[in-house]
Amino acid sequence: MWLLVAALGCQGTVDSGGVPPAEHAGNPGSPPDPGKPAEPGTGSDPGTIPAPGANPTPGSPASCATPNPGTAPLRRLSNAEYKNTLSDLFSGVDGVNADIDAVVRELPPEAESLGFRNSAEFLTVQSLVAQKYMDAADRIAARAAKSDGLVPCQPEAGNELACGKQFIAAFGAKAYRHPLTPEQSTRLEATFQKGLNDYGFEAAVEWVVYAVLQSPEFLYRVEAGKAGGAAGVTQPTPNELAVRLSYLFWQSTPDQALLDAASSGGLDSKELVAAKAREMLADPRSARLFQYFAEWLDLDRLEEFSRDPKIFKDLPAELPSWFQGESRTFVNQLMANGGDFHELLTAPYTFANRGLAEHYGLEPGAGEGFVRVSAPTRSGILTQAFLSTHDKSNRTSIVRRGLKVRTDLLCNNVPAPPNDVALDLEGLGEGLSQKQKLEQHRAEPTCAGCHTLMDPIGVVFENFDAVGRERSEDESGQAIVTATTLTATRDMDGPIADVRELGEKLAASAEARECYVTQTFRFFFGREVEPADACTIQHLRTKFTENPKISELLVELTQTDAFLYRPVIEVQP
Amino acid sequence: MLRGAGGVALGLPLLDAMQPRAARAQTSSAPRRIMFVFQANGDQTKQRFSAAGETDFVLGEFLSPLEPYRNELLFLNRLNKRFYELPEDARSDNHQQGGSSLAPFTSGAGSFPIGGTEDQTIGYVEGPSADYAIGERVIQADPSVAHRHLVYRVGDKSNNIWNLHSHAGPIGEQNPVPPETDPYAAYARLFGSNDPAAQQAVQRQLDKKRSALDLVLGDLGSLEKRVGAADKRKLEQHTQALRDIERTLTGSATGCGTLDLGAKLEVYKDDNHAAVGQLFFKISALAFACDQTRSIQFNWSGNTSNRVYRNLDLSEGHHDISHDSSEESFATVRRIHKHLWTENTKLYDLLKATPDGDGTLWDHTLIVHWNELAQGDSHSIEDSLIVLAGGAHGYFTQGRLIDYQNKTSFSDMLVSCFHYMGFDDVTEFGDARLRLKGAITGITA
Repeated sequence: MWLLVAALGCQGTVDSGGVPPAEHAGNPGSPPDPGKPAEPGTGSDPGTIPAPGANPTPGSPASCATPNPGTAPLRRLSNAEYKNTLSDLFSGVDGVNADIDAVVRELPPEAESLGFRNSAEFLTVQSLVAQKYMDAADRIAARAAKSDGLVPCQPEAGNELACGKQFIAAFGAKAYRHPLTPEQSTRLEATFQKGLNDYGFEAAVEWVVYAVLQSPEFLYRVEAGKAGGAAGVTQPTPNELAVRLSYLFWQSTPDQALLDAASSGGLDSKELVAAKAREMLADPRSARLFQYFAEWLDLDRLEEFSRDPKIFKDLPAELPSWFQGESRTFVNQLMANGGDFHELLTAPYTFANRGLAEHYGLEPGAGEGFVRVSAPTRSGILTQAFLSTHDKSNRTSIVRRGLKVRTDLLCNNVPAPPNDVALDLEGLGEGLSQKQKLEQHRAEPTCAGCHTLMDPIGVVFENFDAVGRERSEDESGQAIVTATTLTATRDMDGPIADVRELGEKLAASAEARECYVTQTFRFFFGREVEPADACTIQHLRTKFTENPKISELLVELTQTDAFLYRPVIEVQP
Repeated sequence: MLRGAGGVALGLPLLDAMQPRAARAQTSSAPRRIMFVFQANGDQTKQRFSAAGETDFVLGEFLSPLEPYRNELLFLNRLNKRFYELPEDARSDNHQQGGSSLAPFTSGAGSFPIGGTEDQTIGYVEGPSADYAIGERVIQADPSVAHRHLVYRVGDKSNNIWNLHSHAGPIGEQNPVPPETDPYAAYARLFGSNDPAAQQAVQRQLDKKRSALDLVLGDLGSLEKRVGAADKRKLEQHTQALRDIERTLTGSATGCGTLDLGAKLEVYKDDNHAAVGQLFFKISALAFACDQTRSIQFNWSGNTSNRVYRNLDLSEGHHDISHDSSEESFATVRRIHKHLWTENTKLYDLLKATPDGDGTLWDHTLIVHWNELAQGDSHSIEDSLIVLAGGAHGYFTQGRLIDYQNKTSFSDMLVSCFHYMGFDDVTEFGDARLRLKGAITGITA
């Protein structure tokens, strides 16, 4: 559950008169405007990926002529990536997949950063995490060593090491996502030998799997970059590029076909990278991209969904998983069918199984599972569980819903409430609706500053209750008025009637579009946007404006400096 | 001293189980332990005490469960957290910054769009929390202690700026420490698997672990030579985590103690909140008794917790209620805290029932009760109440209430904790702007 202190807080920003002017409410961490929206260097280059330090492409702005990838921190696998990686690594090994869910459930959730759980900065391995990786490896290795399909040879009595070496070379390379270095082989063979000497062949295999799954070469996405490079910038090796692609589109380890394509020149130009990206989007593994939407929209918090049974009587126990299924199916079909930003925010339909359709009061669709149903008063993700994950146990929260739009769809920062002032909202008046109480609250100058940022947006969602059903009366029995006036936005200010109009406004807003680009960048590059990313961001914004398909933005990620290049590593003494 | 059937029931198996280690403890003085116990969302500052004399104070109704123990407690009232001495871009919202009170440092950037400034997001605190820093001193002084510190939280599983209260630092770096939220996993980590087959295979398991650690440490060492400065720090931290595990292999707690954890509970089920807390108390007591650690941070929830205390017949979340200034809501907030203080006294009884060296664990432990805020409806970070409980080797003069009128800082109190633990050389802890005087004078025996 999204617990927000500012949700009921107040802020009187004395200096600015309360309301941050639009230019202050910009994207946090967004780079300085690189100037005219000309095609940056990386967007208009021909064929091959230019070597770093190559001559500027004529016509490109000087600042984008040379590649500037920003930082490329070592990325530990997120728990979702770890799960997918294990699943792909042991596909074809009997019985292992049954254990994967169980071990991943035991991993400590990653420290959240800007709404995502895959920020490289916070994906560290501390004592508790190391212990859990050890426990996970223990269970997986024990199972895998007993299973068919893992070891590619039959050990010969007296010469088990030969088969062991064969197994190590194959399994090690697959797990580490690159051929083993002699040093890595030596270590694994020593591990194998120890297990073999004391406990026999199966134990030796188990020990190797156990160690491999705890090795930094498995747990992190290690990159060295191509040798050389100019001005501190180089390119990932073809193998590393394949790994970047697979963790972007499949949230998982590359398969052999992708690695083979990389090593035979299949990723040697930007066009080839883009073509491969589109091909990968068509693969069923791309359904794992839902992780991005789940974290962005806080759908991952549905696990903690809880409602007051006295108020929401007879709520189906499966509701949280239905909500997940709804948004998952919706997003996946958008990705598959070229859905765009507008459709994401305004679709007058949703996906529901029979139970969810009944819950929503919608006409069920034909067929089993989650099927498309018409929902003319709904508006894409805005009326999906995105709402409920910000409500309270016993009612909707205008403030939190508005705040979510403000921080995560517009990328604005909201100040914290000041120290030691009355933050009371509930005591404002008997019989008033939540909306009316908030209006009174905003009459206080100390409260107006912050709440003007949140409440007027939150009001438009009021005709959907805290479990996502449409309604005409609020909790206090008052008729709902969703009409509101948006303020303190860059390009959306003005009256709107309802959530559908909010969706239209957001879809047409440069501020919202740029925020979506920022969020996409953050999740897929695992870090905050840096000033050095100006050209990457400009490229993405331009392309997303030209072609606002959700899936194409992901392809465009692969065409940026941040993806195609990396800084030369300055090795530490 | 045993109070209630619960204490007896738990005390006996511990007594049997811990003879070897307890006997060893007698040869030296018993270790000093510290346990930080957190409850959320502030209380009601005016209702803490109905009379406020130093020794003849009268506990307010929500603190009344502490009455039987009052002579073994020390109430430090109205300590000042001083967060507003930090610039706006270096302090998060009072709940969040307050949730990291044990780490009195600036907040970094990059994690959260509320607080900070309009053009800079706020992040996690940039320095170690006292539970970590004290634990680090402990294991440096005595390498036989297996765990630097243990961090536990009841209830929610996800980790964010609202509920990560322990931090590894070092100063200048954001490095939140995830808590263990599953008591069964916590127990297995400390005392090994309950699975008899696994017990039989202990030696094989140990060999396997050592072999893997050799390989992984080797791979880490090689990799550290191939990365830049920031990544190197990350890998060094990983290496340290494996060294931590290595230490637990040699200082094995096998045979020190076993605990009957009872019928397995659903850990994240609302109804089990208090019971899961009690399991963590039992595990903490055993961890102390077996000298697995000397520093524990226990949290009844994250800060800003919106837990619905259905066991108290509530339907609104704790945080939401705490924002309401009506008498009715304050009464509810007091009920929640009274409930938690009642649960806390079960920890006291447990420690009192657990033999340790020449006395009991209670005699050799300091419990530090804290909250992220003083009062929820105003988000105040002044007026903090700290309750110091436990015999604590007789270090403090107990049975007293002292009003610091916000002229002593929370950080000063943490320095006193270092001193109690024997680290007298620590004269300050945290950012200079959050400190005032160093260790609090006039509270030690």
